[in-house]
Amino acid sequence: MSTEKSDYLLLFRGTNWDKGMSPEQIQKVVTDWYAWFDRLKREGRCSGGHPLQSSGKIVSGKNRAVADGPFAESKETIGGYFYLHVADEAEAVAIAQLCPGLDYGVVVEVRPVAEMCSVRERAVTGGIMAKEISLETAGGR
Amino acid sequence: MNEFPNIEESESASGGGIAQLADHLFRHEAGKLVSVLTGIFGIDRLQLAEDVVQEALVKALQTWPYYGVPKNPAAWLTQTAKNLALDLIRRENLFSKKQPQIIAFIEQWANECSPDDSPAFDSEIRDRRLQLMFACCHPLIPQESQTALALKTLCGFSPAEIATAFLTSEAAIAKRLVRARQRIRELNVPFEIPSGEESAARIDGVLQTLYLLFNEGYKASSGDNLVREELCREAIRLTTNLAAHPVGNHPRVHALLALMLLNGARLHTRIDMAGNILRLKEQDRSLWDRSMIARGMFHLAHSAAGEAITEYHLQAGIAACHCTALDYDSTDWPRILCLYDRLVELDGSPVVALNRAVAMAQVHGPQAGIDAVENIPNRDSLGTYYLLYAVQAEFESQLNNHATAAMHLRKALELAGLKSEQSLLSKRLRDCQEQDSCSRA
Repeated sequence: MSTEKSDYLLLFRGTNWDKGMSPEQIQKVVTDWYAWFDRLKREGRCSGGHPLQSSGKIVSGKNRAVADGPFAESKETIGGYFYLHVADEAEAVAIAQLCPGLDYGVVVEVRPVAEMCSVRERAVTGGIMAKEISLETAGGR
Repeated sequence: MNEFPNIEESESASGGGIAQLADHLFRHEAGKLVSVLTGIFGIDRLQLAEDVVQEALVKALQTWPYYGVPKNPAAWLTQTAKNLALDLIRRENLFSKKQPQIIAFIEQWANECSPDDSPAFDSEIRDRRLQLMFACCHPLIPQESQTALALKTLCGFSPAEIATAFLTSEAAIAKRLVRARQRIRELNVPFEIPSGEESAARIDGVLQTLYLLFNEGYKASSGDNLVREELCREAIRLTTNLAAHPVGNHPRVHALLALMLLNGARLHTRIDMAGNILRLKEQDRSLWDRSMIARGMFHLAHSAAGEAITEYHLQAGIAACHCTALDYDSTDWPRILCLYDRLVELDGSPVVALNRAVAMAQVHGPQAGIDAVENIPNRDSLGTYYLLYAVQAEFESQLNNHATAAMHLRKALELAGLKSEQSLLSKRLRDCQEQDSCSRA
């Protein structure tokens, strides 16, 4: 039995997807979404999640320029996330496919949480090899 | 290997834990909040009130899924709508002159709608809803826009849902709504419950719209079943509201409410599990909604207070005859015929006359029914109405004229729009053809 688990983020994109929805539909999505999140937490497959406000700042450039994020208008904006703890990408994707917002235009992005930054990983591995090489050299002496 | 439980399987095991929201909570709260906010912003800012309410619902959508449903969802929505309204007023500097008063009012509203709704505020909400009802049903707004606007603002239906109910496009409904709001602004339609001499005429306007709303839901000829039942329910809710207020405590308001309740009580038994239409004689009377019938009879009694008799009184009386009959055959058909005789005097519509012909046949036999159909004034306008031929077919087959009956049924089949209607007619046509070949043999 494999117990190896990986972490994934579900990122919910799109902020204006509720336009034109009726109160009845909104109520349904609220309860469906909550039931979905609640169940994943109880099953231990999701360790948390938050909605994100559509206001905020964008910091960019060499001169650290700060601008108001035009988030509210953007379809790319992340409206919230779940932190998943699952067996593999297939399971994370299967969960994402159950998002109640999909019918209304929400886009779900599934991203593996890297165990370690790949650049650093390479550097560390390189270091170990170098060390081993140097030990060998030393032992050889 | 995937060791995680299958999502579908775990569903049943997950059990409760999720706060169940009352049915239609959002829709009903939206209707209330739009009414109250319109009272604050003014009827010329109806759209603004609708937008604020939508935004409050969306806030719930953005947060409840993650943090859970609040203990008192309605109070949460009210509080959120109030905060959004205050933000908007302060930020946009709307209503510059009246701003301090408006802010003071909204803050007071906040205090009053704290956890347990005070009775004073309940009656305030009720009055606001009636004010909005009278505004939506102003006689200078086109009728079709009135019903659409009432559904949008008072009942929280989306343009798409209204379009489904009225078998038209969402764009057409959106256009009607824009036009209705425009008319309200142009005409300076007041946001008030009319009083004095004006009130009688204005109440008639409201009743007509409520009647249309109910009828749209009740008629079996179009649209999606669920949406139609909702229309009936909303019409009953609004009429109950009106009847409970002193200004609406009129015999004809009670008559309309009785007519809705007595017909509404049978609504869900008109279609079987397979979606086939069940005729009155085939319906399971034990499934009729007893509490709705009781309420209907109560309002029917109240409707008898005045001198005047309206179409609503007569139609409610007919519905009451059906609801109180043990079965189809013991129905008090002479009384129904008598009510139809008077209804025909008030309402010259050929559809009413066609219904009267059915009652006529029940009392005086099928030939009397056929004669009554032939004497319908303006009968030509029924030429494309499938029920005209279905009714004639019924009379002819009772007289064992199966070939003539089959001819009428074929015509009815050509005209029937719904699958459920067509399958009922086809079944009757097959029966007829069998009988016909039997009688020839």
